[in-house]
Amino acid sequence: MARQNRQSPPKLFLQFFRWYCNPDYLEDIEGDLLERFERGKEGRGRKSARLRFVIEVILLFRPGIIRSIASTQKLNQIDMFKNYYKIAWRHIIKEKFYSLINIAGLGVGLTCCILIAFFVMHELSYDNYHQKSDRTYRILQEYRSGSERATAPAAEEYQVWGNAPVGPAFKEEFPEVDQFCRFTPGHSKLIMANDELYDEKNIVFGDSTVFDVFSWDLLSGNPQSVLDNPNSIVLTESLAKKYFGNENAMGKTVIYNEDVACIVTGIMKDVPINSHFTFEGIISMSTFYNQRQSIFESWGYVDFYTYFTLKENSTIESIKPKLAGLAEKYTGDWENTKFYIDVEPMKEAYLNSVAARQPGKTGSKTNNTIFSLIGVFILLIACINFINLSTARSLERAKEIGIRKVVGARKLSLVSQFLSEFFILALFAGVLSLSLVLLLSPYLKEFTGVNIEASDIFNIEFLGLFSLGIIIVGLIAGSYPAFLLSKFQPSKVLRGNFKTGKSGVALRKALVLFQFVLTITLIIGTITIYNQLTYLQNHELGFEKDQILVMEFGFDGEVQENIEAIKNEFEKDPNVLSICASRAVPGNFFPNGGTEIENADGIMISHSPAVYEIDPDFLSFYNIKILAGRSFSYAQYSDSVEALIINNAAAKLWGYNNPEDIIGKNFDQWGKTGKVIGVVDDFNYLSLHSAVEPLTLRFEPYSMAKFSLKISTGSIPLTIKSIEEKWKELIPQRPFSYYFIDDNFDKQYRSDEKFAQLFSSFAVLAIFIAGLGLIGLTTYSAAQRTKEIGIRKVMGASVSTIVLLLSKEFSKLLALAFIIAIPASWYGIQAWLNNFAYKVTMGAWVYLLTAVTVGIIVLISISWQSIKVALQNPVNSLRNE
Amino acid sequence: MGNHHLGEFEEIVLLTVAILHDEAYGIAIINEMETRLHRKVSIGALQTVLRRLEKKSFLTSKFGEKTKIRGGKRKRFFSLTLYGKKVLTEIKEQRMGLWSALPEFAFSS
Repeated sequence: MARQNRQSPPKLFLQFFRWYCNPDYLEDIEGDLLERFERGKEGRGRKSARLRFVIEVILLFRPGIIRSIASTQKLNQIDMFKNYYKIAWRHIIKEKFYSLINIAGLGVGLTCCILIAFFVMHELSYDNYHQKSDRTYRILQEYRSGSERATAPAAEEYQVWGNAPVGPAFKEEFPEVDQFCRFTPGHSKLIMANDELYDEKNIVFGDSTVFDVFSWDLLSGNPQSVLDNPNSIVLTESLAKKYFGNENAMGKTVIYNEDVACIVTGIMKDVPINSHFTFEGIISMSTFYNQRQSIFESWGYVDFYTYFTLKENSTIESIKPKLAGLAEKYTGDWENTKFYIDVEPMKEAYLNSVAARQPGKTGSKTNNTIFSLIGVFILLIACINFINLSTARSLERAKEIGIRKVVGARKLSLVSQFLSEFFILALFAGVLSLSLVLLLSPYLKEFTGVNIEASDIFNIEFLGLFSLGIIIVGLIAGSYPAFLLSKFQPSKVLRGNFKTGKSGVALRKALVLFQFVLTITLIIGTITIYNQLTYLQNHELGFEKDQILVMEFGFDGEVQENIEAIKNEFEKDPNVLSICASRAVPGNFFPNGGTEIENADGIMISHSPAVYEIDPDFLSFYNIKILAGRSFSYAQYSDSVEALIINNAAAKLWGYNNPEDIIGKNFDQWGKTGKVIGVVDDFNYLSLHSAVEPLTLRFEPYSMAKFSLKISTGSIPLTIKSIEEKWKELIPQRPFSYYFIDDNFDKQYRSDEKFAQLFSSFAVLAIFIAGLGLIGLTTYSAAQRTKEIGIRKVMGASVSTIVLLLSKEFSKLLALAFIIAIPASWYGIQAWLNNFAYKVTMGAWVYLLTAVTVGIIVLISISWQSIKVALQNPVNSLRNE
Repeated sequence: MGNHHLGEFEEIVLLTVAILHDEAYGIAIINEMETRLHRKVSIGALQTVLRRLEKKSFLTSKFGEKTKIRGGKRKRFFSLTLYGKKVLTEIKEQRMGLWSALPEFAFSS
């Protein structure tokens, strides 16, 4: 063998040649090669001939000889694909109605998904833009007194808002800490710039390390030193524009609180919208320090948000065990109160923090989950339409499939044919959805502040992901129909009396059922959410909030001095019914204060309730009910020195279930001692997300910052105008600013309202898509039964019996869907309602209303076609046999 | 005319095919070229040119009989088309024209 082998040319190379050579040339060139080899063997010997052969084969491997790629198998496949697309296109055009339902449904579903994805991505992006966000943390604090002092507070009890010295102490005690940075909240501040007065609510004091800890963009100024010196201020771009127009604001002077001149040392870009804490300007912390040095040493005075960064390679775990020690070191000598510290990552501040007194709005993980689920649901509903319509109508394609198989199509090529057809549909839907997204993006921005630019969509990353998404959707929606269709046996199909299998019908029913369940859940959700919102807005708050105007004067000394005279002046206006002054009003900012009150056993117990500083008119003005004791009185001078009123929740906190019993007990709060003189009923001074917290009210003439005015229902603009004129006359040093308390109070529900609006829009879309699917299915099943209906009519069936006949199948499914959806939706809704302390009760009417709504929608979708079919003259359907 | 650019090798292959007349198949062409021009030619080089010339319709080809020495494979015989002959003649005339225009003293030195 081996011998003979050497007589013949090298086999491997011959095979290689046969593989690459153009089949048209193969025979004669191979002949030439062999002839040459044989002659060479005779002449120069075997070895040289074999070598020569190898060289010839290699030299033959050139473009003119190699078989062309296009002319072989692969060309064939491209042609087949071309054919698939042609057929697909023809099919789409021929069945415009079904194609439209599929494309519209998928397109709308994809649009919802993209919008939701952008929204959720935005929510998740909060604070990620800070370069050091991975190692930035914030300090949480809580004071515990009395019997509770030994138990550490729960996560919800910690406050983000805390004292000043803890920041410096962190840096001193913990070598892991790199920098700390404190902010005060942006209480209303009087600012004079360019000779104009402004009441600014969002200018904060901030430590000089701001631009080291956070990555906000400083446009001009040195980030290391902008806030080093007292009386420096950094403005955001928009605030600089507001104050100085297009002039360069750098180096200009801004006067804070009438006498503190601050130099603009830096201009920064506006704080990005995806920040848990925003402000419009920062005054250097040293300015604040110069005003009130004592609070910077006080571990009990609360007015700061403290952030800190860790050194690289340090972990927060190494700090956590040392927190209790730090608290003990600085506050261990406190008698009745224990100070607790905790830390949390800044990245979690927006979505994952449960601590109280947040510096800005927080997001809701539940809402994000709900929205993501809705997005998936809507897409599923659209995919189900797709599956249902394609499988239901598979009969139409049976003949085509039969012929293709007879001609020699393999199962796999049929699958790829149908898949490519579905991909085309999905592609159309994708294009539709992209245009819809661009069209809808302004609304999304208005609703949620999430901005979608064309550049967010037309970039490689997004388009890549999007194409992947389309392929996945095409696969989800298309693979079952494709495999089902390609399974048909040509012998059965072509014989003529072919019926789709029972399994397809069962699956279709299951999918329709699933759609119904999702739709019903979404409708129940929508109704409940709106229900809850109306409930919140109509909830008896325990105080009056209609027609009440609030004007702020920001602790102005002159006003405080003459407060009663000014009140009298305003009251002279015939449209002002009554007036009172206070530091806080419901729905607005208030401080907490360490407070000791005597308990039933005569022991002073300390807690930290909310503090309202009011004048004696406040309680009657807001119509707050007094449960025991009395209100403050101008007649009793001592009321402003040694009297305290508390609410019922506070009375309970100190262990008095009967409010009468706490009257006359001793108290000690903020340097004031005396007796509790009254207990008021709980009124909701915060949003109804939370229950009424303990509250203390004190009469403090020199802590007033706001007037509340009850005005008559007449011409409100005129009334405001006359009040403004009076203001300019009485308080010229302050800008006139006002708001209505009910507007302000309802602001707290704005994010809930947005949630409701978004939720309901998506629910409507989901219902719309499901409705489209139903129309498609009934149209088809009615068309299938044209003959049957014709015969029934001939036999005497009425239109209504036929409509009933066609609707029966879906009605059964609908009933079943209700049985499944009610517990499912109940569970989800309870989870959402748990966000609120005051919940609406879910009456049976919600389910009834849903049943009626869904019933009507389904009925409309079904009867659209079934009535049309039922009304047809049987002659038409029976004639052509 | 003169637009059919024939390469030097192409021209030689055409001429050889013409010389061999009815016997012009791959190996015969190579042998003829090797003996007359003392020039090594690989099958690959020749075959690409042959196919190219055929595509440009200077040549046609047909299969011959099977022979034993070639492992039972048929030979492909090439022959000049009318067009091929015409182009070859044209080239020859152009060359001759050039040669006759050459002044005698140009080569005499």
